[in-house]
Amino acid sequence: MNAIETVNLTKVYKNFTAVNSLNLKIPDKTIFGMLGPNGAGKTTTIKMLTCLIQPTSGGATVGGYDIQKNPNEVRRLLGMVPQQVSLYKDLTVMENSQLCADYYGINPDERDSRIEDLMELVDIKYAKDKLISQLSGGQKQKASLVASLVHRPKILFLDEPTIGLDPTTKRILWDLIRELNDDGHTIILCSHDMHEVDMLCDNVGIINTGNLVAYDTPQGLKDSLLESNKKEISDTLSQISSESDVSKSTKEDVDNLSLRKMSFLLKSNNEDVINSLRLNPHVKSIEIAHNGRINIRIDYFDDDALNSILDTVIKSDGVIKSVSTEEPSLEDVFIKATSEVVEDDRA
Amino acid sequence: MIELKKFGWMIKKELISLKRHPVRLVSIIAFPIIMILLFGYGMGGDMTDLPIVVVSQSDGNLTDLTLDTIKSSETYHVVKVMDDQVKAEKMVDDGEVKAAIIMPKDYDDTNSSNQKAVTLYLDSSDQMASQILDSSTQAMFYRLSNMAATTSVTAVNENSTATPSLSHQLNNFKDSISLHINRIYGNIKYIDFLVPAILGMTIMMSCMMGMGATIAGERETGELARLFMTPTSVSTVIGGKIAAKLLIELVRALILILMAIILFHVSIKGGIFQTFIVLVFGALCFVGFGIMLSARTQTQEDYAQIVMPFSMPMMFISGVFYPIETMPWILQKLAYVFPLTYLNDAMRGVMLKGQTLGDVWFDLVILVGYTLLFFIIGVKRFNRDV
Repeated sequence: MNAIETVNLTKVYKNFTAVNSLNLKIPDKTIFGMLGPNGAGKTTTIKMLTCLIQPTSGGATVGGYDIQKNPNEVRRLLGMVPQQVSLYKDLTVMENSQLCADYYGINPDERDSRIEDLMELVDIKYAKDKLISQLSGGQKQKASLVASLVHRPKILFLDEPTIGLDPTTKRILWDLIRELNDDGHTIILCSHDMHEVDMLCDNVGIINTGNLVAYDTPQGLKDSLLESNKKEISDTLSQISSESDVSKSTKEDVDNLSLRKMSFLLKSNNEDVINSLRLNPHVKSIEIAHNGRINIRIDYFDDDALNSILDTVIKSDGVIKSVSTEEPSLEDVFIKATSEVVEDDRA
Repeated sequence: MIELKKFGWMIKKELISLKRHPVRLVSIIAFPIIMILLFGYGMGGDMTDLPIVVVSQSDGNLTDLTLDTIKSSETYHVVKVMDDQVKAEKMVDDGEVKAAIIMPKDYDDTNSSNQKAVTLYLDSSDQMASQILDSSTQAMFYRLSNMAATTSVTAVNENSTATPSLSHQLNNFKDSISLHINRIYGNIKYIDFLVPAILGMTIMMSCMMGMGATIAGERETGELARLFMTPTSVSTVIGGKIAAKLLIELVRALILILMAIILFHVSIKGGIFQTFIVLVFGALCFVGFGIMLSARTQTQEDYAQIVMPFSMPMMFISGVFYPIETMPWILQKLAYVFPLTYLNDAMRGVMLKGQTLGDVWFDLVILVGYTLLFFIIGVKRFNRDV
C-alpha cells in the first residue's frame, strides 16, 4: 500500500508551473527522500500534500484519503517538522505541545501522558518548562518533533530537520528518524544533505523544475549513474575510434576518459608492493601522493581490477590501512539529474 | 467543544505572551496614556499663563478694576505693571513677553469725553498665542466697558451737566456688547471634542496594527502554518485571534476612558458602560479591517505598508481633530466612507451629548455592516498558504 500517491499533480501560479504532472508513489512505512534544487517545486508539492494549497489539476491521496475531498482526514494523518521551527516562542515546550494536542482534538485524559512519553523518546523532557526562545537549535527541533508527533501521525514530513545542527545532535535525530520509521511512521525527508538522505532513505525522488526526474533506491540511483557513465564513455570511445585521424594528444585523452581512480594507504610503503603493482596488467598508472597514499588508475570497464590489485598488495606483504574507490555518490546523481533538465530546458 | 478549546487557546496564548513580556504589557497601558497626553495636552489643552506686561499711567477705580481683572484671568501671567510705555514695548520686541496692554493717561478720567484708547501691543509672530490674547483681551475690555458705561449712564441721568453725546456714545457701547451665547450641550472645550475621537482613533490604530502583527507575523514565522495543518477551520483560527485581540483592546479602551476622566476631567454624559459598548463595536470593526488586509499578506513589513494608506487618511479625515463640515467637499465625501467617522460620531454622541446606544443606532449599524463586510472578505480571501 502507498502512503502517498499523486496522479498528474500540478500547480500553476499565473504563468509559472511550480509542479508539473507529478506522479509519485511513496510506499507505506518507508523513508522517502525528496530531493531537488531550490525552487524545484518540493515545497509546493508538500503544501499540496499537507492541504495548505489546492492543486491546479491532478490529485493525490494521502493515507488513502483524497487531499481535496477529505482535507481534514488527511490533516489528521500528517505531521510536519518544518525547517524553521514554528512553535510559539513565548510558550514552553509543554504548552506548545498541549496547544497542538488540543488542535488535533486529543483526549485530555491521555494528552499530557502522551506528550511526556514523546518528550522522553526525543530526550527533551528536561526542558519541558523552558520557553522555545530559550532553547538551542537541536532542542527546538526536538520540541518541534514532539508537537508534530503528539497526534500520532502516520505520515511525517521532515523539512531539513538537521540543518544547522552539530554532528552529535544530527546523529541523535537520525537515530530518532529510524526509530520512528521502525514504529511504523512513513517519513518524507526533504534535505540537501546527500549523506543524510543516502543513509536514511529507502527511496529517493529528485524533483526539478516541477518534474520528477529520478526515482529509485539510493543505491539504484548510484548504480544507474555508473551504468550511464559507462555508456557515455563507450559511446564517446566508439565515436572517436570511427574517426580516422587521431593525434597523439587525443589518444591520451581517450585513454584517460575510460579510467577511474582507486587509492589506498599502506601501513608502510615498500618498493616490493609498488613494483608488483606496476607489473599488474590491470593497473594503468600509479603515483605516490605526498601523504603516502597510492593512487592508481584502472579501466572503467574492468570488473576484475579491484580484486586483482588488492591480491597483489596482500601477496607483496603490504598492510592496507584504508582503501577507497571512485564511485558515483548521491550528490553526483543529484547534479546529473538536475543538470540534464536544465540543459534540456535551455535547448 | 473542541473548537471552543481551540478558541480558548488563542486567548490563553496571547495572555501568556503578555505575561511573559512585561514590556508589551507596559505598552498596552502606556500607549493610551501617551496618546491621550500627546493629543490632549498638545492639541486640546487651553492656553493659559501667557506672559504680558501692563502699562498703567493713571490712578483710579477703573484702573484698579482693570488691573484686578487682568491679574485674575488665567489667560495672562502679568510679568510687570509699569508706567513706561516705551520700555514695555521693548519687552515685547525682545520676546520677553507676548504682549503689552497699554492703558492711556486719561483712562480713569471720567470727565473726559474722548474714547479711551487702550492699546494691545502684540507679538503676532506667535500665531496661536496672539489669537488667544487678541480675543481674550477684546472680550475683557468689552466687559469692562460695559461696566464703565453702566456706571456712567447712571451718572449722566443723575448729573444734567453731562453732554448728550457722551451719554449716547456709552449707550451705544453698552448695546454693542450685548452677546448672547446659547450652548446647548454646555461649555464644550476643544479637549472635550477631541477625547471621544482620540479614544476611537487609538482603538483603530491598535486593532489594525495589532492584527497585522498577529496574523502576518505568525504567517511569516510559520506558527500559523502549524495551526492550519491541523484539522481546524480558518474561521476558528481567525475567531480565536479576534477574541484574544478584542480582550486586550477592551482593557486598553477602559484605560483610555479612565485616563480621559482623570487627566482631563472629561465628563461622559452617556455613562462609561455605553461608551465602552461603542468602543467594542469600533474594535470589532477595525479588527475585521486588520483581518481583511492581512488575509494575504506574507510579512509584517508588507502589512505595515498596506495598512498605512488606510489608517493615516482615516486619522485625519474622519473628524478626529477638526469637524468634518469644515473640510473641502471631496474630503467630506471621503470621510463618510471611513468607518472611523461613524465611530467618532457615536462616541461624541454618547460622551458629549449624553445620547443612548439607541440614539446612535445609525452609526452602530454602519459599524456592524462594515464589520460583517470585512470579516466575510477576510475569511474568503484568507488562504492556508503560508
